[in-house]
Amino acid sequence: MTHLGEASDGVIVRAVLTGDPERFAELVHRYRDRYARYAAQMLGSVDAAEDAVQDAFVRAYRQLAQCRDPENFAGWFFLILRNRCFAERRKGQRTAALDEQVLELPGADRSDRKAERGEARRALQQALMTLTAEQREVFVLKHVEELSYEEIAARTGATVASLKMRMHRAYDRLRNQLRDHA
Amino acid sequence: MTQAMHELVKRLLDGEIGLEDLPLDLQAEGGAALERLGQFDRAPVTLSPALEARVMREVRALARRRPLWRWFVAPVLPPWAVLAAMAATAVLVVSLRRPSPTRPAPAQRGGDSVYVRFVLYAPAARQVSVAGSFNRWDPQAAPLARMDGGGVWSVTLPLPAGQHQYAFVVDGKNWIPDPAAPAVDDGFGRRNSVVAVGASGARVL
Repeated sequence: MTHLGEASDGVIVRAVLTGDPERFAELVHRYRDRYARYAAQMLGSVDAAEDAVQDAFVRAYRQLAQCRDPENFAGWFFLILRNRCFAERRKGQRTAALDEQVLELPGADRSDRKAERGEARRALQQALMTLTAEQREVFVLKHVEELSYEEIAARTGATVASLKMRMHRAYDRLRNQLRDHA
Repeated sequence: MTQAMHELVKRLLDGEIGLEDLPLDLQAEGGAALERLGQFDRAPVTLSPALEARVMREVRALARRRPLWRWFVAPVLPPWAVLAAMAATAVLVVSLRRPSPTRPAPAQRGGDSVYVRFVLYAPAARQVSVAGSFNRWDPQAAPLARMDGGGVWSVTLPLPAGQHQYAFVVDGKNWIPDPAAPAVDDGFGRRNSVVAVGASGARVL
């Protein structure tokens, strides 16, 4: 994971914990964008993702002594960010305002020449917002981050069977949403 | 009102089967569903360059208010008896106030630095180093040398005054506390040793 000469996550975590908080910046730099797309898809906008990532890093710093496997800081950080995204979704279940923000995601911009394709993408993004946070997560991790069910299970702690069940419910819901839209 | 997607189409979207595996009457629906999925936005998301600065501003404020390492160093000292038994297998000599033939005296070296000698008995090791708060826990920073081809490894380092945590790194991967010194829990299930360096010498804590 690390390049030659770069300190491993574990080395940095230990340094921070023993009195060098400045080195936390190395972890922020290393992982700031890794889960940004996940957070943006979960929360519906890049702005919300940025707030969540920032918050998750500060939370990670506060709880750093509880990181059981410092070499796997990334996996631990992902769980903190994930909790933050779920809490945000539950808190909000935000209405129309957030749904509009979905369209701010890069790639859905006005420069897209294929209007139809842009429209379909827009519809899909909006339909995705109607899923539960759990359904949305499995969809994003599988079809956006392109992880296998086994990889998602390893990251989230859910079983493959329950992930498939969530996903299949999500397919049904998306299908109905999109059919209504069409 | 909700109509379920056919099980086979779901398996197609999951990547378990191909379009050609679907019965003919489902192929159009399957193809359309796949196409929909392909239209999904997968563009990478890059957050604002100011993110790091914002996080670090909060981190610094937190560090000033309540340093993490205070919680971290909170000593949970193991029983001395256990340590005494461990010390039988390996030895660390930290320079002490009084010079002796085997324990070199601390040599003053600019400011409050003191030379501290780290020794580990590890006959089977191919490589030993000492990593600690004084060298950013870098396992490459301070290798120990094997003495006379035997099982004793040592290095002498100038350490600034203050309290330092350290551990030995054997063969680049095994982090072990100093068997001859008390250790504190490092919060990850491992233990670190602690050495206190003062103007007149050093002692393990």
